[in-house]
Amino acid sequence: MSDLAKEKAARLLKKRGSVSSLGSHDVRAKETRDKTKDSISTVSYIDEPGHHDDNPRPAVQMENTFQLAPYRRFPVLTVNDILKDVLASYLQEEKYEAELCRQMTKTISEVIKARVKDLMVPRYKIIVLISIGQLSDQNMRIGSRCLWDASNDTFSSHTFKNSSLFAVANVYAVYFE
Amino acid sequence: MDEFQSSEETAFVVDDITTIIKDTVETTIGSSAYQQNRINQWTSSVVETSLNQLSKLGKPFKYIVTCIILQKNGAGLHTASSCFWDNTMDGSCTVRWENKTTYCIVSVFGLAV
Repeated sequence: MSDLAKEKAARLLKKRGSVSSLGSHDVRAKETRDKTKDSISTVSYIDEPGHHDDNPRPAVQMENTFQLAPYRRFPVLTVNDILKDVLASYLQEEKYEAELCRQMTKTISEVIKARVKDLMVPRYKIIVLISIGQLSDQNMRIGSRCLWDASNDTFSSHTFKNSSLFAVANVYAVYFE
Repeated sequence: MDEFQSSEETAFVVDDITTIIKDTVETTIGSSAYQQNRINQWTSSVVETSLNQLSKLGKPFKYIVTCIILQKNGAGLHTASSCFWDNTMDGSCTVRWENKTTYCIVSVFGLAV
């Protein structure tokens, strides 16, 4: 599936990149299209290449556990502290730089995932979402909604700010029945 | 019969979801310019409408939809996500949408029940 996505992305990039090299009649056609549509959308579906080895494995048949609720709930406050801790330690002294922050987002999300996994809360799936942005006079709103089982599933969130950047960390924990 | 259903209906299909999200963002924000007083309403609307459409698909999935709307100001933004789940059944996709004054990034995570 991701090969298709990669091909689509490659085709999109080729289309955009090659406007200047098209013949004159083609360039005109592109311009008229742009006039009618002044918004662009791109789709990205990026996956680590190692995961594709798992695809040929057939779906596992699950048996009933006869368990109605999780034995141990997800510790939201502990995770709040983990987020505070990780964001402060990694970003306290940093200035916003494109290359550094690109690496930083990936690293921080992996670190947070590892620390939450260490809590060993059974039967919970974890999603960690990190956004790091530059502080300039812009406005931004981040919102999320979830369709899940409100009694078992939960989330934890923390924001960090220093003089040149801000970071928002969200951890969602979903119970696997 | 059960196996047939499980392979067809319990896969996370990226294409359907991206179409739904793109349409939702188009209808909600369309080509409006960035407006501070409407942004709250836009974010809620994009996320709620997407969730409604996703639940109409009728698949056995729990969904998490995140939306980031920001003004085009030359400022940089990086987003990363790391997930601990079952690779065969769960999936995610991100749709980046822009117009002349606004960027909108919508991420959908689907976890199989």
